[in-house]
Amino acid sequence: MSTLINISGLSWRVKNKSILDNINFTVNKGEVIGIIGPNGAGKTSLLRCLTNQGDILSSTNVSGNVQLKKRPILQYSAKEIAQHFALVMQKNETIFALSVEDVMKMGLLPHKSLFSLDSDHDKAQIILALKKVGLADELHSHFNQLSGGEQQRVLIARALVQASQILVLDEPTNHLDVYYQHQVLQLVNKLNITVIMTVHDLNLASLYCQRLILLNHGELVCDGTPEEVLTPTQLSKIFGLPCQQSINTITGATQVSFYLNSDKKENNFVDTFDE
Amino acid sequence: MNKVSTILITLLGIVILSAMAAITFGPADINSSELISCLVGSCNNSIANVVIWQVRIPRVLVALVAGMGLAIAGAILQNTTRNPLADPYLFGIVSGAGLGATIANISLADNLTIALPLAAFLGALFSVIIVVFIAKVLQRMEQLLLAGVAVSFMLASITQFILYFGEPFATNRVIFWLMGSLARVEMSNFYVIGTVLLIAIITVIALHRQIDALLLGDESAASLGVDVDKLRLLMLGLCAALTATIVAYCGGIGFVGLMIPHIVRQLIGVTTLKLIVGSALIGAIFLIWVDVIARSSLPHAEIPIGIITSALGSIFFLFIMYRSRAIT
Repeated sequence: MSTLINISGLSWRVKNKSILDNINFTVNKGEVIGIIGPNGAGKTSLLRCLTNQGDILSSTNVSGNVQLKKRPILQYSAKEIAQHFALVMQKNETIFALSVEDVMKMGLLPHKSLFSLDSDHDKAQIILALKKVGLADELHSHFNQLSGGEQQRVLIARALVQASQILVLDEPTNHLDVYYQHQVLQLVNKLNITVIMTVHDLNLASLYCQRLILLNHGELVCDGTPEEVLTPTQLSKIFGLPCQQSINTITGATQVSFYLNSDKKENNFVDTFDE
Repeated sequence: MNKVSTILITLLGIVILSAMAAITFGPADINSSELISCLVGSCNNSIANVVIWQVRIPRVLVALVAGMGLAIAGAILQNTTRNPLADPYLFGIVSGAGLGATIANISLADNLTIALPLAAFLGALFSVIIVVFIAKVLQRMEQLLLAGVAVSFMLASITQFILYFGEPFATNRVIFWLMGSLARVEMSNFYVIGTVLLIAIITVIALHRQIDALLLGDESAASLGVDVDKLRLLMLGLCAALTATIVAYCGGIGFVGLMIPHIVRQLIGVTTLKLIVGSALIGAIFLIWVDVIARSSLPHAEIPIGIITSALGSIFFLFIMYRSRAIT
């Protein structure tokens, strides 16, 4: 397996708060990696550093090394980064009546020069990508009128048109109901490209990622297969709730469930609210 | 040929026909055979020849490029700020130009041909810099427009202060200029506005994909390799230059940049290339005809063109509000 990304000693401090603290890991070609952890653990910040969004790595608050194909990512132009990484972010709102086709064409941008118009080949690529996500019929629909799941799929299709080797998704299943959560993640899983995504739902992460990276307070706590990362001791320490691990008899995936100690149940929450 | 190109070609035809038809309107009594003979260069009536070539044609051509320019400036501002209500007027660009022109008019009574447009341009640039600075301090894109409105009122009040204490003749000149009129335009104005317009159109066509990427949010655009801040600043500067040049020669003509792109979005599309080509064509048609109304609706006087566009614009504004209420 060839190494695509190498992160060493990555830290991001703002005033006295550590957003990321000495993160080290590598990403190999073709892996589907889930970044998990509680709210504020630094998941989205890690994605920002990984792709140098807003030239964050040049900031004096950030130290450490991020290398893409053995070259520091700081040496890549914004356009080159867009040629390597396709991002699907959480917020994608527009008040204009953009069609699905208009959104898809944005994916062509990193490969286009100034003045360029769309070729027949571009249009064919757009149709092909929409077919892959099952939305070929929606080419002329308004993006805003699609369901949340369909919008996510259009953005994943846009990432395919972008033809980048690495797909980065920030909470792709946020605001989706159970059916669409599985649909979107299964789609991502079957694309056969390198995927790095933050996932809130641990069981979904376990089901669709080969490898999980667990963050807490900006530190990398554990990096390994879902079975290795989702251990009751580790999770109960981080999430503050007792936890049980099991194997789903149908999917064979490691699953976890949290519960409250019955004798302490009410006190725990009352205490939390009082603070 | 698809629907969009059919509409655009039809609009282009209407632009050409409108421009030709507009030449026939005016207080001087020139019949159609004289008009045609003057246009082809075999004119017997020398007065008609002068009226057509030195009054009517420059006026129609300036209306054409000014309409295009104001509509395009609105379209660019709206797409780069993702706000369909953005308009050079609301961004303080016009009040900045007004202040510059006022200062030039009051302090340099002679040599206004160069000083007036230059001062208007500098004033517009000044207001854009303040607006962008405020928005940068506030770190919020949505507040760019509110900052524009605040700056607009501030500069307008300074203008009025200067006018109040200014010399009456100069004050009068500025007040009429602020109302907007194409009555005193010359062929050279057409060349200047046309050049700036051409530069703006070429720049926007070059960067149309970058501007489109902004439509789904700054984050999304940045992930596609767009330098969002730089692009937005460049576009604001371009709109300021375009609007200031037009305002410098034609005075205050409001609401064109607000109305026209809105119509184009319904009719043609929201992405930048369609929007600016459509806005250019419909903007030209609109201003050519508004100018015809301005110069021919009253028997012995002209109505300042800015009064008509503002009246139409405010009705249009209310219409949009009524419609969006009906949808939600």
